Amino acid sequence: MAELTVLKGADERDLTRLDEYRAVGGYDALERARGMTPQAVIDEINEAELRGRGGAGFPMGRKLSLVPPAERRAGPAYVVANADESEPGAFKDREIMRLVPHRFIEGCLIAAHAIQAKNVFIYIRGEYLAEYLVLEAAVEEARLAEILGDVDVFVHRGAGAYICGEESAMLESLEGERGQPRPRPPFPPVAGLYMQPTLVNNVQTIASVPAIIEMGPERYKELGAESAPGTVVYSLSGNVDRPGNFELPLGTTLRELIFEHGHGVADGRALKAIIPGGSSVPVFTPDQLDVPLDFDAVQAAGSYLGSAAIIVVDDRACMVQLALRAEKFYMHESCGKCTPCREGTRWLVQLLQKIEDGDGTQADLDLVETVCDRIEGKSLCALGDFAVWCVGSYVRKFRDEFQRHVDEGGCPFGGTSSIEGVLAPSDQHAHTAMAEVPA
Amino acid sequence: MAAPDFVAEVHRLRARYPQGRSAIMGALRLAQERHNGWLPPEALQEVADAMEVTPAQAAAVASFYDMFNLQPVGRHIVEVCTNLSCALVGAQQVVDALEAELGIPPGETSDDDEVTFRLIECAGGCGYAPVVVVDGRYREPTKPEDVPALVEEIRGG
Amino acid sequence: MSQPELVKVTIDGVEVQVPKGLGLVETAAAAGIEIPVFCYEPRLGSPIGACRMCLVEVEGMGKLQAGCTMTATDGLVVRTAAVSERAADGQEATLEFILVNHPLDCPVCDKGGECPLQDLTFRWGPGNTRMRFPKRTLDKPIPVSPLIALDRERCILCYRCTRFSEGVAEDGQLIAKNRGALSVIATFEDEPYRGKFSGNVIELCPVGALTSTTYRFDARPWEIQNVPSVCGMCPVGCNITATTREGRVKRILSRNHPEVDGGWLCDKGRFAYGHLGAQDRIVDPLQRDRPRYRELGWDEALDEAERMLRAAGGRIVTALSGSETVEMAYALGKLLRQGLGAHSAVLPEGVSHSLDSVRAPLSSIAEADIVLILGDEPVAERAPIVDLWVKLARRNGAEILYSLDEERARAAERAVLIWSGDCDEDTDVTALAQSLGCPGFHLPRTANGRGVADAWAAAADAEAENPEPIGLLVVSGDEALADPYVRAMAEQAESVLAIAMFRRLATPLADLVLPGTSYLERDGTYVNLEGRLQRLRRAAIPPAPDELAWLARLAERFGVELSPYPSQLFEEVSAIAYGGRPYGEVGEEAELPSPVPAGQVQGPGPQNRPGETGGPDGDARDEGEQPPSVPAGQVQGPGPRTRPGETVEGDGLRLVMYRPLFSGPAVERVPELQFQRPEPVVELSAADAERLGVRAGSEVTVRSNGTSVQLRARLAEDLTPGAARIAQEHAGGLEQRVEIVP
Ligand SMILES: Cc1cc2nc3c(=O)[nH]c(=O)nc-3n(C[C@H](O)[C@H](O)[C@H](O)COP(=O)(O)O)c2cc1C
Ligand code: SF4
Ligand code: FES
Repeated sequence: MAELTVLKGADERDLTRLDEYRAVGGYDALERARGMTPQAVIDEINEAELRGRGGAGFPMGRKLSLVPPAERRAGPAYVVANADESEPGAFKDREIMRLVPHRFIEGCLIAAHAIQAKNVFIYIRGEYLAEYLVLEAAVEEARLAEILGDVDVFVHRGAGAYICGEESAMLESLEGERGQPRPRPPFPPVAGLYMQPTLVNNVQTIASVPAIIEMGPERYKELGAESAPGTVVYSLSGNVDRPGNFELPLGTTLRELIFEHGHGVADGRALKAIIPGGSSVPVFTPDQLDVPLDFDAVQAAGSYLGSAAIIVVDDRACMVQLALRAEKFYMHESCGKCTPCREGTRWLVQLLQKIEDGDGTQADLDLVETVCDRIEGKSLCALGDFAVWCVGSYVRKFRDEFQRHVDEGGCPFGGTSSIEGVLAPSDQHAHTAMAEVPA
Repeated sequence: MAAPDFVAEVHRLRARYPQGRSAIMGALRLAQERHNGWLPPEALQEVADAMEVTPAQAAAVASFYDMFNLQPVGRHIVEVCTNLSCALVGAQQVVDALEAELGIPPGETSDDDEVTFRLIECAGGCGYAPVVVVDGRYREPTKPEDVPALVEEIRGG
Repeated sequence: MSQPELVKVTIDGVEVQVPKGLGLVETAAAAGIEIPVFCYEPRLGSPIGACRMCLVEVEGMGKLQAGCTMTATDGLVVRTAAVSERAADGQEATLEFILVNHPLDCPVCDKGGECPLQDLTFRWGPGNTRMRFPKRTLDKPIPVSPLIALDRERCILCYRCTRFSEGVAEDGQLIAKNRGALSVIATFEDEPYRGKFSGNVIELCPVGALTSTTYRFDARPWEIQNVPSVCGMCPVGCNITATTREGRVKRILSRNHPEVDGGWLCDKGRFAYGHLGAQDRIVDPLQRDRPRYRELGWDEALDEAERMLRAAGGRIVTALSGSETVEMAYALGKLLRQGLGAHSAVLPEGVSHSLDSVRAPLSSIAEADIVLILGDEPVAERAPIVDLWVKLARRNGAEILYSLDEERARAAERAVLIWSGDCDEDTDVTALAQSLGCPGFHLPRTANGRGVADAWAAAADAEAENPEPIGLLVVSGDEALADPYVRAMAEQAESVLAIAMFRRLATPLADLVLPGTSYLERDGTYVNLEGRLQRLRRAAIPPAPDELAWLARLAERFGVELSPYPSQLFEEVSAIAYGGRPYGEVGEEAELPSPVPAGQVQGPGPQNRPGETGGPDGDARDEGEQPPSVPAGQVQGPGPRTRPGETVEGDGLRLVMYRPLFSGPAVERVPELQFQRPEPVVELSAADAERLGVRAGSEVTVRSNGTSVQLRARLAEDLTPGAARIAQEHAGGLEQRVEIVP
């Protein structure tokens, strides 16, 4: 078993308790960091080549360096921890907050020291009630133990909006507005929360920091892949025998993850597709099982590691239905600010529904691809891209299956697909006050 | 007019942020708790007063987020995630079972105002799917065969 | 200020030098290249990059970029849709998406023919649609207020309207509701959008989603004429375009004067034009024929007017409204003063020409770091657009002070003084501004009070004598007719000749009524509160000959040479009051002359100051050192006021009654504007409210000597302690000192 950095010790002790966490050396890294200059802390994180675990894989050290140091700025700087985890397939931040809240808080405090911030906001998705309570209790414990020092840590609850995971939308939401993304630049490290320099990092990224300070960047880099050191918590779900979170070195192959750690496809079914980084990224086919799950390798293979959420799809699932269900999610979650995402996702749902219903023409199928192309790269934030990476890749990689829907005038699964007839929240809008009245 | 204790609590919350406006989501949540789980116009007005914004601004924020209810809800809320990971392992069968057991389709509240039944997007329980959330607490996993007992528990509790 | 650094930007191969940080849309414009936009509107604050119409290719960047959110940096190389296929495809994609759910009901859309969406689709859009599904349909149109209709199907969610409400008017009334494809523009619970500036959202809307209820289905863009003019509803003098069809005004639009109005209008200026066609509009001369009035032909009417003027034997007093053009006031003055030796006038309000020594464009308020607002009346009620400038200043970081803090004001780099109250002998705005070393503005009550004073003074320079008793009172305009002070004088005059647009106030007061015209029916000039001379153009044909025409004919009978042409009349005034500026030079976008050095201020000085009559009881006020001032439309009459910041003695609060923006003869005649009338509230300072135990929003009783009214309490940050403020129409019979009982 490889060395863990994020969930370390949680399988043996109740690390939600401060005394237990302290017993395994908890908050020693913070003390060490506080004895260092902010720049020295940034240097260590930089050297460890810690890349963001929230989706984009941006080096945390570089982000820290973009925040003007205290002596070069007029106002305060903020740390905002992105605990909005809403990417379909991802459930690792939840586990981290539930099992090692203190390690996460410790990371927040080290980050605050690195940029000389006096306020940390943890934006936790509203649905995570149990995790919120654990985190709140841990913050309170740390406060009473005078660990926070002169830093205020505040846990802010979201209220159900995927887009608030996007950093600029999160800042809008945190400022008390509708959670709609801002144009960037300026980027948060320059002008973020209340237009002040702000460090936004994912829960797991931040929870990886204590280990780096503790073991030093050299040792940290011995873990994981060369281009992406460290460990990562992979969230494995879907048609797999043993789903769950697995903290492993970055660069573990899909095959190892699914077949060793996940015990293979459930019920001995055949593997059909693998979504390697949460529902937003292009899909893989079984011939790509040997791709190492690190940022660069997955990208080289045509997808993204994203939030390292792997969804396993077996041969019973209709890819048109899967595309339709995924697109309904993006339509539902589009914030409504920019045109291509707001209108395009709705149009894609209509097209995919028509194809699934057996009424789709060749033109409709071609149009799906065109609409995907027309959204990609043109929306205000990446949600528009997410909404087409998935669907676009399903069409490309499972073209035959889409084609058969058109040619055969219906779903070739004939009602046997594992996700046959699955409804989505957007299907309920007909029941709400702001109904769309059909023409 | 908003109750003084509500106003006081919102003011305390406002003081926790560098800019008070940040407290609006918290204020909406508090107001929702005080109004049987939803935000009638009076509740939005109360939030607006306590937050010193217009009621329209409160409504603009409230209507953006799924967890603020702008329609009445039942005493209990049963939610089922039907996003990919849950769907792949049978979420729709759980939906069907709940519909049969509760006697209402998703998106509706039972006539006796006991239960609101609805679908949600990914709840972050993909590894323990299908995920059902009852009054904010996750039930992971919930299989169709667990549904009768679950409904009995809700109706009884 | 330091010179902005210039940078070199290349757009479609054209190199331009622009200041660093200039928006890319403006940079492209400087290169003669258009980047099409929908959501971008710099007056609404920082760009939001929502609509994606402005996509361009930028060298070194993989993705297309929203041009509207980019700024000029050195070496930036941009290719727009004109030369870049990718950018063109991006823009076509945006338009295709915009049109996917757009109803394309252009034939029945008011915006048709002047619609940016039509225009941009024509130029950049796809020629057909690939959308084969039922479009999103929504209830339409729904009223946003009695003035504005919203068609949600046509809305392209550019958020211009909501950004205006949130970030310019700061009223927070118009919002976006819901999320994603279900997003809609809304008000709270479908309540009407109340606010002084709501109509601007109609003009901001780039499609036919927000339309004016008073213009809907009234005209097509190819049937209309647009007349550039100036609003005559308040002293700001916003620049307007009057859209006319067949000689009638159909709507008023803003004609952005960046120094005066920044392209905004208040709802009074935008919607009150309905008064032109009021039911009780006077179209023929009327003579009293007790108990009624009879209509006269014009010859007969002029005979009668001549008879009345002669009969008065010089014992004539003229009451002016302040809405006359410079030319009309001059014509009246010349006839009455030169022809009849009648020099006494009641000017609508005191105006101080010394202000010209501290003048600055209104837009300078936006750059101030301290704005000092003194006087009791709400700025927005007197000069609404000034309120928007003040709000902009605050958003730019200025501090707004409502009491005189000379130290802070002097310490400020750029302070601005605004006096929002009457200008009487106790308040020398100029002296205060001079002592603070900053520009000063006085917000008068009337649109052209300054111009009227100039013109009256220019007409003759003899001293006024107070006729006793008054032989003839000439009342010019409906505002003067509404003034209780003037009405009291009329009761005592032997005869009354009124020039009025509407019957209700003119009858039964006047013996002879001659039809009046509106500012929208006149050619001429106005002087706004900055001291800026601006040009009015006739947009609508008045239902009767205008004042200048019949004044000229009347003047003939007294041997006074009076031209009926505004250009000639202006030149006569100008020679005396405006340094001989020719009429033609008062251009479409009038300039503000630089401040006049103190001591060389033009306009009426002590020698040629127009006369002033005493009140109805005949106690003539002192002539001489004080500026002419008889406040019009103020029930309590002239009298010393408490200076702000002064403590009040005795019990109770000083009552400040103000004339609300949405009041007066024009507003009263526009049914759609009635919902905008002030709510029944009494405003208090936070300190007084606390002292009296009054909670904001609660009902209170306001009383003085025997009368009392029930009103809702509201806290006003601009009110100094010691005063209670109530709109005139809600003040009942309250007197100057009131008590507030929770
Ligand atoms: C639509 C959308 C949703 C996102 N959701 C999340 C999320 O739930 N959690 C997260 O950490 N990052 C999310 N991100 C990425 C954030 O914008 C941001 O890159 C990240 O929080 C930075 O942290 P990191 O550098 O530590 O990864 C999302 C991005 C987009 C465009
Ligand atoms: S109503 Fe008009 S201005 Fe408002 S968002 Fe829609 S299109 Fe834009
Ligand atoms: S004009 Fe640039 S995004 Fe709308």
